[in-house]
Amino acid sequence: MSERNTERRERPYTESSVIMSTVRVVAPFVFTYGLFVMFHGADSSGGGFQGGAIIAAMVLMLAFAFGIEPTRRWFKNTAIVLLATGGVLAFLFIGIGPLVLGGTFLEYEVYGFKKATKYGIEGVELGIGAVVASVISGLFFAIARGFEFTEGQL
Amino acid sequence: MIDLLTTKYNYIAAILLMAGGLYMVVGDRNLVKKVIGMNLFQTGIFLFFITTAFVEDGRPPVIQEGTETYVSPLPHVLILTAIVVGVSLTAVALTLIIRIYSEYGTLREDVITEMETDD
Amino acid sequence: MTDAIVLAVVVPIFGAMLSLIAGLRFDRSGWAIAALTCLGQLATAGIILATVVRDGRQAYALAGFQPPAGIELVADGLSAPVVVLIAAVSLAVVVYARQAGPRGNAFYTVYLLLCGGLAGVALTGDIFNMYVFLEITGLAAYALVASGDSTRSAVAGLKYLVLGTIGASLFLLGAGYAYIATGTLNMVDLSEQLAAAGYDSRLVLGAFGLLVTGLLVKVALFPVHTWQPKAYSSAPDSVSVYISALVSTVAAYAVARVLFTVFTPAFFAANPVAQTALLYAAAVSIVAGSVLAILQRDLKRMLAYSSVSQFGMVVAGFALLSQSAAVGGVIHLIGHAVLKGGLFAAVGVVAAQTGARSVDEYAGLAGRAPLSAALVAVLGLSLVGVPPSVGFVGKFYIAVGAVEAGEWPIAVVIFVSTVLTLAYFARIIERMYFAHSSPDTAVEGGEDVAADGGGPPGSVAGDGDGVTPEMVAVVVVAAVVAVTLGFAGSAIESFLEPTLTEVFGR
Repeated sequence: MSERNTERRERPYTESSVIMSTVRVVAPFVFTYGLFVMFHGADSSGGGFQGGAIIAAMVLMLAFAFGIEPTRRWFKNTAIVLLATGGVLAFLFIGIGPLVLGGTFLEYEVYGFKKATKYGIEGVELGIGAVVASVISGLFFAIARGFEFTEGQL
Repeated sequence: MIDLLTTKYNYIAAILLMAGGLYMVVGDRNLVKKVIGMNLFQTGIFLFFITTAFVEDGRPPVIQEGTETYVSPLPHVLILTAIVVGVSLTAVALTLIIRIYSEYGTLREDVITEMETDD
Repeated sequence: MTDAIVLAVVVPIFGAMLSLIAGLRFDRSGWAIAALTCLGQLATAGIILATVVRDGRQAYALAGFQPPAGIELVADGLSAPVVVLIAAVSLAVVVYARQAGPRGNAFYTVYLLLCGGLAGVALTGDIFNMYVFLEITGLAAYALVASGDSTRSAVAGLKYLVLGTIGASLFLLGAGYAYIATGTLNMVDLSEQLAAAGYDSRLVLGAFGLLVTGLLVKVALFPVHTWQPKAYSSAPDSVSVYISALVSTVAAYAVARVLFTVFTPAFFAANPVAQTALLYAAAVSIVAGSVLAILQRDLKRMLAYSSVSQFGMVVAGFALLSQSAAVGGVIHLIGHAVLKGGLFAAVGVVAAQTGARSVDEYAGLAGRAPLSAALVAVLGLSLVGVPPSVGFVGKFYIAVGAVEAGEWPIAVVIFVSTVLTLAYFARIIERMYFAHSSPDTAVEGGEDVAADGGGPPGSVAGDGDGVTPEMVAVVVVAAVVAVTLGFAGSAIESFLEPTLTEVFGR
């Protein structure tokens, strides 16, 4: 069984200069667009899920152009975990803040500065976007790597 | 009947998707096709929801001068959440399938059941 | 302090994130973080219960938006005990899993996410929020079931995933129908608006059918139970304890919520067919589960089929729509969670001590591991329903409710199932105490020091074959709670009375 594993993992990777140069040019714009969509969740269409998916698509695009292994080494596992947990913790802290200040969970008004609701929602959307982007990229790398499995590690 | 087809085709498409998806989950022996069927089933449900959220002459729910009917954003947000749930479920399912394949070497569920009883 | 309601969901998720971050650096910190989080969760649940006992139903509007526009979390007589149950079982399984279970921060992260999801289902008052938390619970449960050593767990997890997702999608469709019919998602508001929309409207009937069917897939009633035996038997031992005690229990609580709060008894008065159908389904499940359990030889599969039968009784208790039956349903819900979790934990302890996993291998267990055998016997007899244990009290109330409502077949079915349960547990007890262990009850995959669990109780950790006093202590606590809860039957009834009179109007 393990020989089949190693065989499959040595998939041929063909370098294509067209794809590489296109991706090199396009990727920053995609990333900016993803951030744009993330920031606009409060007042118009957009939001965390969509923006995060776009940024994850950018990471996948880089992986296809330059090879999955190099991209995985660049977007380290630590960064993925920190982004994911950071996003959730940002959501929790923005939510618990009003609780400490005397309101209910996620009651942005209590924060007191002008337009607190809008900025609160945008903060939460950024957190969600970070979670979605890192989780989708992390899952892609995990699936691409295949499996050596020990109990308790999924 | 023709009237139904020309005006309510969205609902018919949703029902066909749900039925097709359910048939794939039950009837197909390949594990990946089961997961595809599950996705198809969920997509049919989403289409159904979004169709019912249509408001004639409705405008996007951002306050503007001179509009009277707005579309409620609630069903769309519900479906967005459900789509994300569906994506994560598919991801977990595919991870499990890869693990099963790397151990058993096959994706057909009848062969896997046989191999398990032999274990 | 009603903020505790939100904290009951926030604390486990926070713990899960901490566990994930700590896993980057400190590889063995998962257990400590999980234990601390579960202690905090238990404290929060205690505060919620105390507040409900003192002040009645507590509603908490998220973000200050009042229902029906906003999402609210509700703690009342029905949900507060379930939250305490979730917290207590989470802590017990963390203690149990220190030795027995999978290790690693990833396991404890998913475990704490499951705990948070379960608390969310128990506390929410909004039907779409319930769908979201049901899916969080399901996702974490699928991942936990698949976290076992062999690929068998992965296959069982995949089957659970596909079936559970179909069930949850049906629930989503039902919630959608209810939204289309009324325009609101809040449960209390839904009950009024559904009445206004007319209980004979096809949308409302469709919503009922889909919501209940989706939840019954998660409760694992016959015939949609097929994911359960494989999932329970192929999962790691501590995961079996946790999932059997809590996941189907919380889904059954959700059934009670949908039946009582969203579709009030008035709906069933207008549509008696709905009640009859539900009662038939429950009755079939009661009998089928017991019959299938008798045919099993592997202990975990037997306990899984027994769950099918017991949850049939719980759903029957809720579907009878009388106050005593509902009290019986709640008592049996909580009692069954303690008993089934305790039984799976005991089976895990026996397997760790002697490697015995099937009924034949249990022969002569009383000689090899007397304390564990006694615990299995006590818990098994409680499940059968020997007074004064909680298994008896729950079934008694349900049977009384059935007779009061004139549904004699249900009482007969409960009696038949009790006899069948006695049949398979008597077989196990007979094997343990009256059969002799012979050389060909060879243990498969057990530790090589198989036979010396027979010292005085408390020395079970002796030969280092994987059982610590904490694991046995968890099982002992489960057995003690199961017996003492039986005495608390009337206390629980008076606790539930305000909530249930509001539903049944008596």
